[in-house]
Amino acid sequence: MNTQQLISENNRKREFLTKENKEYYEDMLVYIRLSFDKSDQETEEVLNEMLDHVLLAQEEGRTAKDIFGSNPKQYADEVIGELPRMVTKKQLQYFVMGIFYLLAAWVGMSGIISTGAYYLFHVGELYEDHYLVSQILILLISIPLAFLYLILTLQYIRWSTFKSINRVGEFLLLWLIGMLSFGVFFLIYYFMPDIGPNLQLPAYIKIIIGVILFIFGRILYKRI
Amino acid sequence: MAIRSQLLKGILEGCILAVIEKQPVYGYELSVKLHEYDLDVSEGSIYPILLRLQKEKLIQGQMEKSPNGPNRKYYYLTDEGKDSLEEFRQKWDWIKKPVDQILEKGESL
Repeated sequence: MNTQQLISENNRKREFLTKENKEYYEDMLVYIRLSFDKSDQETEEVLNEMLDHVLLAQEEGRTAKDIFGSNPKQYADEVIGELPRMVTKKQLQYFVMGIFYLLAAWVGMSGIISTGAYYLFHVGELYEDHYLVSQILILLISIPLAFLYLILTLQYIRWSTFKSINRVGEFLLLWLIGMLSFGVFFLIYYFMPDIGPNLQLPAYIKIIIGVILFIFGRILYKRI
Repeated sequence: MAIRSQLLKGILEGCILAVIEKQPVYGYELSVKLHEYDLDVSEGSIYPILLRLQKEKLIQGQMEKSPNGPNRKYYYLTDEGKDSLEEFRQKWDWIKKPVDQILEKGESL
């Protein structure tokens, strides 16, 4: 079975867990899956074994806590510690896929916003100025920032998995971080001087480029 | 404590290899078998060990349909695993008798 099949098997079988076992198991599932530098095939295989184990034990009246102990985080860390690392080639493929999705979102959204602004609010122009060197510089700064933001978010979710955290406080915190990172992107874009030759691209072309980049990312994801 | 748990881990690894040698098993089956021998380890502790044994290439997992339906990951002993189990048997023989004697003498003193 490949990784995708294992994941859908897991989704299907998880529904048979009791409420208590489901909560316990899913916390561990999220936490183990977020160790993103581990082989995803091996990760899903062991998650599947653990789920089967709970399902069988559940019929005999034992709980997930009886099996994995009262400190799920410690147990999950032990499992993660023994999982083999993801091979570099796969890591690279995921990275390139991430770049494609990021570019797709960026170019596509910019096209959609320009079109929307022009037709709905009569603001701006359909043919916008794009200074080649400026655009490349923006990308070179934004991509590492976006990855940093992604990693920080993942780390935060990992850290918060087994804790009961005030949901309102969590929402406010994530909202604040989201706004801050959006602000940083905006500042970079706003203060970037116009350098290099000017490419005038119509907004609909940007939407098309966005869709093409998205399809490339999707194909790459299917092939990983 | 650290030394003690290392020792137990090593013994548990040897026992798991021995169970798998007799017959390929999947995770749950393995834990049931260990319990049948009154080896009272927590059930979950086998998964980190199975992962480590796979990394060390002593065992090999394979997804197969089990007799009663669902896909299960069955573990087989590799050639390296057989060698390692043989080594464990020798070491165990070497240490078992003297330790038993020391413990018995200790009690009678």
